[in-house]
Amino acid sequence: MAGRHVAARLARSCRFRLAALRPLSSASAAVAAESALPLAETTAGEDRDGGVTMKGVRISGRPLYLDMQATTPVDPRVLDAMMPFFLSRYGNPHSRTHLYGWESDQAVEVARAQVAALINANPKEVFFTSGATESNNVSVKGLMHFYRNKKRHVVTTQTEHKCVLDSCRHLQQEGFDITYLPVQKDGLIDLQRLADSIRPDTGLVSVMAVNNEIGVVQPMEDIGRICKKKGVFFHTDAAQALGKIPIDVDRMNISLMSLSGHKIYGPKGVGALYLRRRPRVRVEPQMNGGGQERGIRSGTVPTPLVVGMGAACELAKKEMEYDGNRIEALQDRLLNGIREKLDGVVINGSMEHRYAGNLNISFAYVEGESLLMGLKEVAVSSGSACTSASLEPSYVLRALGVEEDMAHTSIRFGIGRFTTEAEIDRAVELTVKQVEKLRDMSPLYEMVKEGIDIRSIQWTQH
Amino acid sequence: MASAVGSGLSRAEAFSLLRSLLRTAAKFSDYNIREYVRRRTIDGFRENRGLTDPSAIASAFSEGRSQLEIAKRQAVVYSIYAPQVKNIMELNAS
Repeated sequence: MAGRHVAARLARSCRFRLAALRPLSSASAAVAAESALPLAETTAGEDRDGGVTMKGVRISGRPLYLDMQATTPVDPRVLDAMMPFFLSRYGNPHSRTHLYGWESDQAVEVARAQVAALINANPKEVFFTSGATESNNVSVKGLMHFYRNKKRHVVTTQTEHKCVLDSCRHLQQEGFDITYLPVQKDGLIDLQRLADSIRPDTGLVSVMAVNNEIGVVQPMEDIGRICKKKGVFFHTDAAQALGKIPIDVDRMNISLMSLSGHKIYGPKGVGALYLRRRPRVRVEPQMNGGGQERGIRSGTVPTPLVVGMGAACELAKKEMEYDGNRIEALQDRLLNGIREKLDGVVINGSMEHRYAGNLNISFAYVEGESLLMGLKEVAVSSGSACTSASLEPSYVLRALGVEEDMAHTSIRFGIGRFTTEAEIDRAVELTVKQVEKLRDMSPLYEMVKEGIDIRSIQWTQH
Repeated sequence: MASAVGSGLSRAEAFSLLRSLLRTAAKFSDYNIREYVRRRTIDGFRENRGLTDPSAIASAFSEGRSQLEIAKRQAVVYSIYAPQVKNIMELNAS
């Protein structure tokens, strides 16, 4: 006890001394920053006083990470499984003539079984690819190319990931017909509308399981049932769903599914494609070559990455319930914390049909870009990482019918396995502070508080 | 990093495993991993506190031991590649 008192007093006196020194030290830091070459600003420079400067932004420490939809950190247990295959077990899994090949091949097959177990599939139905984007490309283009003589139509939704939409556009240029189903205000698709849009020449229905931007979970079982009844293949992009919500390819009647390694605490650069065997789904391969992965995807299978993905899947299966409960509690904490202190907070997408680790919120009367810039100590994104460079509001939010101004101010908070309560509290604190600061400057917010309806304002045109 | 506390295998052994896991958790240089290993260890022991079946206890024990080995190795790996700049959560906490 006595020791603690002394420590506290010491810390206090240190703080005083530091406070006295601070103006001096920051002034010298500013001088140093000014005299530094412009080149240093574009690369990561670790400052003398422990901070980091990158892209002209100076931060005192590494930001707290709340962007789990973009990617997740690799779990130490996953890395531990991968490392032997980076070191002495470097064999090509397709080498049939020596031990190096055999042990790698064995590891790949174990990983295949681990992935299959998580989605209740047969290991023979799992093919390793470079990621969910490749799997989506093979699924959409490869399948339609294979059945091109009889099937000329694809049904998908407006809120799909870019790689599905772009593959569809590619098909359109080749003369295929695509239906982009609109979604309702809550982000869910209208099942009746889906059933009505399926035609005799429809080859594929592609609907993502969990949306990457708004976290909305589509009714997979119902969609699967409709597809089965109409005899259409059902493809789903489950990159954001794997390991987070239970997936059962039989119960959901999924014909093809895209999976990703780095969204489930595994390595980047690896994914998987599920292809149903009975009834058999066939695709035209995109990669031709040595015939690896049974000709679906030629090219040497990257053993360390695949082993990592397998380990990540096994962990996800074991930890799904534990992680799920925790993430749900953290989401509540985040949402309640923000709502307690701020008004004009709108959640984008359905709250009931949502994966808890994804919270997409819009803050009214705040400029989104300024908000993100002000939150430099919190690593969050306005939406998809693929489109976060553009100033355009997200097409997913527009598909939901979110007004332009609200779509501009959306922030996606991604919570994961390694997120702590303290991080959530800090994120709430910083977000609230920043939003209040921006609103204090905003004439619009002042007008709203005075009771003026912003939409009734007639803006003069120049 | 789940493990078990049982009355079948000696209580002392269980606590020794728990202590080792917590000690290893504290060695992780990464803020998030350190907190996770600590939290998951405690929750894992809490989950398995009520185990009575000897075979379940034994398997939980061996699971815990293998997790300890992984944690020991990875704590070293993380420390080798630790970034010089600390996490923002560690800076303001002190």
